[in-house]
Amino acid sequence: MNVRYSAIAALIAFLLGLAVATFSELRIFLPALLRGAAVTIEISILSAILFFSMSFIAGIGRLNSIRPIRWISTIYIEVFRGTSLLVILFWFFFVLPSFGVVLSPTQAAVLGLGLNFGAYGAEVVRGAITAVPKGQKEASAALNLPDWKSTLRIVIPQAIPIAIPGLSNLTIEMIKATALVSAVTLVDITFASVQQNQIHYRTLDIFIVAMVIYYCFSQLIRFGGAILEARMTRHLARPH
Amino acid sequence: MTEPKIRFDKVSKRYGSLTVLDRLDFEVDEGEVVTIIGPSGSGKTTVLRVLMTLEGVQDGVIWVSGEPLNKMQSKNGMVPANKAHIRRIRSRIGMVFQNFNLFPHMTALDNCIEAPIQSLGLSKAEAVERAEELLAMVGLAEKRDQYPSQLSGGQQQRVAIARALAMRPEIILFDEPTSALDPEMVGEVLSVIRALAAEHSYTILLVTHQMGFAREISDRVCFFDGGKIVEQGLPNELFGNPQNSRLQQFLSKVLEAR
Ligand SMILES: Nc1ncnc2c1ncn2[C@@H]1O[C@H](COP(=O)(O)OP(=O)(O)O)[C@@H](O)[C@H]1O
Ligand SMILES: [Mg+2]
Repeated sequence: MNVRYSAIAALIAFLLGLAVATFSELRIFLPALLRGAAVTIEISILSAILFFSMSFIAGIGRLNSIRPIRWISTIYIEVFRGTSLLVILFWFFFVLPSFGVVLSPTQAAVLGLGLNFGAYGAEVVRGAITAVPKGQKEASAALNLPDWKSTLRIVIPQAIPIAIPGLSNLTIEMIKATALVSAVTLVDITFASVQQNQIHYRTLDIFIVAMVIYYCFSQLIRFGGAILEARMTRHLARPH
Repeated sequence: MTEPKIRFDKVSKRYGSLTVLDRLDFEVDEGEVVTIIGPSGSGKTTVLRVLMTLEGVQDGVIWVSGEPLNKMQSKNGMVPANKAHIRRIRSRIGMVFQNFNLFPHMTALDNCIEAPIQSLGLSKAEAVERAEELLAMVGLAEKRDQYPSQLSGGQQQRVAIARALAMRPEIILFDEPTSALDPEMVGEVLSVIRALAAEHSYTILLVTHQMGFAREISDRVCFFDGGKIVEQGLPNELFGNPQNSRLQQFLSKVLEAR
């Protein structure tokens, strides 16, 4: 239900934005904004891959029975949650070269966003894993499954649907945070909007279009997450 | 002299300052069907859980077929068992839980083939054949593709029994297998257990509050109280002529409640 309402809201917002943009000769600035949107999408997709991977690696690692693995995961989570994303981006782009590591703007942005949000995602995944009833682990042990198989095949598949709402919220947060990548010289929607505004002085239309684009991305993720969750919990609902 | 199938040798289990098993000595012979009864909190579940290695113990040794479970032999004598040793010994033991603990994201059949494939290394075809036989034995052949959420409690517990048997255990532990069931489903689960007990090819340890059933299927009944066996014996003797006053009280309460 909620999903359908937000999809309709997204559509209306999109049409409204389109109308406003049309009236104000969007032709002059839209191409630049769309190029920016393409950068935002590229960075978002690449960062999301790293973000999800790190969420699961560190989330599972934090619950591992081997202590050093737990420590490394905890240190990673604490460092990247406890520092500002902007500073992390500066680090990857401006500080690492002085240690001989030179990253392209895209590499720096993807690493910064992916690792930063992966640290938050790890906490979501950890919470989801601990929410799986402990009887599941016990049944696996009683069936003599090795620990890692019980984690991988029994616990994680049940933790994923629990983690989806949290991870899809974080994905939306991450897409919005891509607005910071201009710090490493990338021209994303936000930076493209700023540039276009400096050239054309059409503040209202430009930023309405930028907002609508962000909003559509967010809704897309929310919608996708909800569908995925519904699919994965199809068989889990307990009738009694 | 034949080794008992299961032997607890002065086993102590504590949670903090709470002693749950108190230097417990307890033996079960091969093929024997032993029922554990006793008031809530007396340590019945704990006996099964430490045997299944879901919990460790602080003191004592648990022996399975003459081999230590929580310890292992090394050149320096007995040392705490490592994971590989525990896995090797506990492969002889299966457990059926009060709350079934089926894997909710798998069908009945997948629940029964998961561990045989992933733990015993059976091929899928072998595991499916074995699982289908067992599902048929518990009367659920036609439910093989149903998910646990689509099954009644009694059906879920029967799948759980089939799943445990699919690992070919020598010892099966039942922890109040019918306590979470609606009354009308108790019978179908008990009749599966009854059939297993009658075979005497498994060593069975059953915790239950179904006194009539315990009396009917057990070779021996043990009354637990305060982490110790207070009285044990043949079912007819223990139920017909209880000696210990706490057992007498317990039985009169349980029978009153019915
Ligand atoms: N994980 C635990 N932590 C602390 N106390 C526990 C734990 N598990 C069981 N106990 C306590 O151990 C005692 C025995 O429990 P249990 O073996 O489950 O009893 P029974 O199955 O006979 O009702 C109870 O007092 C219970 O509260
Ligand atoms: Mg109990």
